[in-house]
Amino acid sequence: MLMLAAIVVLHITTIILLLVAAIDNAWWVDDLVSADLWGRWDLSNNVWHYTNLKGYPEDYLQAVQATSVLACVFSILALFVFVAQLFTLPKGMRFTFTGILQIIACLCIMTGASIYTAKLHVNGTSGGYGHCYILAWISFVLTFILALTYFILRKKKE
Amino acid sequence: MLTFLALTSVALLGIVPEQSQAIAIYTGWERHALVGSDIRLSCSFFSWRWTSEDVTFSWTYRPDGSRDSISIFHYTGGAAYVDNKGPFRDRLEFVGNPGRRDGSILLKNLELNDNGTFTCDAKNPPDIVGRPSSVRLLVFEKVPIQAGVITGAIIGVVLGLLVLIVVIYYLMRFLVARRVFSLSVSKHGKKKKEGSQQRQIKV
Repeated sequence: MLMLAAIVVLHITTIILLLVAAIDNAWWVDDLVSADLWGRWDLSNNVWHYTNLKGYPEDYLQAVQATSVLACVFSILALFVFVAQLFTLPKGMRFTFTGILQIIACLCIMTGASIYTAKLHVNGTSGGYGHCYILAWISFVLTFILALTYFILRKKKE
Repeated sequence: MLTFLALTSVALLGIVPEQSQAIAIYTGWERHALVGSDIRLSCSFFSWRWTSEDVTFSWTYRPDGSRDSISIFHYTGGAAYVDNKGPFRDRLEFVGNPGRRDGSILLKNLELNDNGTFTCDAKNPPDIVGRPSSVRLLVFEKVPIQAGVITGAIIGVVLGLLVLIVVIYYLMRFLVARRVFSLSVSKHGKKKKEGSQQRQIKV
């Protein structure tokens, strides 16, 4: 019972981290700039202004956008499938469908973060990686652990 | 209900005479094209009157960043007059059909300097009161990737594949259960039983 609660809490936490990483515009951060994946916030005269992203390799940026959205979608689907499988799975069976969805989410966020690292901001412009970037990699680790858990876990035989 | 219908019909009758004196001109909002290509700028109008013989179309061009416009095309009295001195000399062609209220022009061999706003003004005497309509032309070296096209494509394809795989999986399970298919890998024991039953019946 406790283990079940812990897994569900961890899964929900992972979903929240993925959503923050995908939605918040803070993959690349400077003192006055907070940018990616969807737009750019510039601070001037203590007021934040939102502008579109310019000068990025469009195909790579859109690939990162797509993979982060897909990672969120698959992780949320995995949660619903897990709850459904809790009730419908025969005893002693493994939660494979949930595990598959979670590993796909893991692959998606890994692909997105890797493309971001390799292809965007490689010319040494000022600034560093922001909290969304870090959360993306953390959620990669968490989704991986959760996927392994779902592949190994068996439903209790009464 | 009846009073509502009566009120709306009275209101419409009140509006219609206003509109019958105004001509409505339609062009696109924005057009994108590559350098060196041709583009057709369409212009049509709506008027409550029949298309008159004195219908006129005129196109003017205002380059990006400039405040002056220059007239580049005029159709009147059944004849089309194209630009023969300005930026579009030898590159402009009239491809419209005034009888069908179409005053479209064709710009050939576009250059980067052709970025700007094209305004079409049509008059259908006696219906002459109306607002000219403008279309913005954007000329590109190469076609830019529109925001979100690749994103949407990737998301759509992946989710579509997921739905397809789930549907096929459940369909196969359903068909196997209904004995339409018989999978040789699973149900090894069942096949043996069926075989022995058959032998019994033969005897």
